[in-house]
Amino acid sequence: MIYFDNAATSWPKPEGVRKAVYESFLYYGANPGRSGHSLAMETAEKVYECREKAADLFGLSALENLVFTKNCTEGLNAVLMSIGRNGGHFIISDFEHNSVLRPLFELKNRGIISFSVAETFEDDPEKTVRSFKKLLQKDTKMIAATGASNVFGTKLPYKMLAKLAHEHGALFLLDSAQIAGTEKIDMEEEDIDFLCAPGHKGLLGPMGTGILAANRPELLEPLIYGGTGSYSLLPKQPDELPEMMESGTLNVPGICGLSAGIDKIIAEGEEKIGKAEANLAKYIWRELDKMQNITLFSKEPNYSTHAPVISFCIGDFSGEETAALLAEKEIAARGGFHCSALAHIKAGTEKRGTCRLSVGRSNSFDEAKKLLEDIYSFAKK
Amino acid sequence: MKWYFFLLSSITSAVKGEKILRGNGYKANVFRDTSMNPYGCGYVIKAFGNKENMAALLKNGGVRVNEIREAN
Repeated sequence: MIYFDNAATSWPKPEGVRKAVYESFLYYGANPGRSGHSLAMETAEKVYECREKAADLFGLSALENLVFTKNCTEGLNAVLMSIGRNGGHFIISDFEHNSVLRPLFELKNRGIISFSVAETFEDDPEKTVRSFKKLLQKDTKMIAATGASNVFGTKLPYKMLAKLAHEHGALFLLDSAQIAGTEKIDMEEEDIDFLCAPGHKGLLGPMGTGILAANRPELLEPLIYGGTGSYSLLPKQPDELPEMMESGTLNVPGICGLSAGIDKIIAEGEEKIGKAEANLAKYIWRELDKMQNITLFSKEPNYSTHAPVISFCIGDFSGEETAALLAEKEIAARGGFHCSALAHIKAGTEKRGTCRLSVGRSNSFDEAKKLLEDIYSFAKK
Repeated sequence: MKWYFFLLSSITSAVKGEKILRGNGYKANVFRDTSMNPYGCGYVIKAFGNKENMAALLKNGGVRVNEIREAN
């Protein structure tokens, strides 16, 4: 299997991650924050260690404001439901994933909030910011934007959008699903109020892990309520982070793996990883661009402007059909709509869908060559 | 200087507090005693040193301490 589906989840995981997950069953098998015996305390230390590393990675000064979630979607829901609970207006981009669109759509359907979708302009960040600016209202509470489109790779000028939000007294939420681990993000320096990231994509951890980092923790409300290991005799949910947002037993094996994934990112450097992925994606894109019978929907993936994602179709095939052809050759790609209706509507691919190739840190030049040979074999027919 | 118990309300605060104190040269360790600590999680930092200095370090580090007791 040649794996080009890293935007869905990175694979294969580094050896250190696999080892850390395995060792968690041997050495960190007790429930952290629930007991005082040595195994529970050692497990709690391990969870703390990962929390500290993740907070450092994203420039979050108070590590207790880093919450472990089961994925990026859960974090985004927690933020949007917290900020939207008392109404207000939200602005999102026309590249947003359903994990941002659907919670807002639900809040709107309940008659609680309103939201607007800002048009983005791929090669013109200033124009994108002006587009958001035009939609600002007196009651705009938040601008929420993805760091990069999961369908077309297009990076958004999120630092400029954070600035715009704050100039107008609004909050800024960054969905870093496609850039965490491949781009340096500093929440403090870049004035990001909330950041959500999957642990299992660029951060190289296991599936079932994610983080929510908050610079405005006082605005958060739990998405789920229950046991936190604290104030057990009180019916009221404790207000102390991170426990307030982490009811129920944590995914300790996942967190141990995530910790090792972050170690790998720190050792190799986000930019180095991101640039290597972009270079390979650029090579694939350029070769596809030369082929007859290929429709490319995404632009050349340069590191500064795009995540290493290529959307395309072979001949008249749909995105799903194109991915199915590649699957026949043991190549993993994702076809369809990628949980991102807005992006497909923007690109006019909402009927056909696209086949998405997403490059990860483990992909090699030889794999890219084999991929291109296989695509060519279908395209020339 | 004496031994003190710092009563906390979460495991994260307890581990963070222990690290802050140890990082500043204090002897400190976390244990759990729900009868001593009624403030929730039962986690307590036992630490040796100047009470005010240690309390200030914890406060500056963002660790919420519910109560400080002198150890007998």
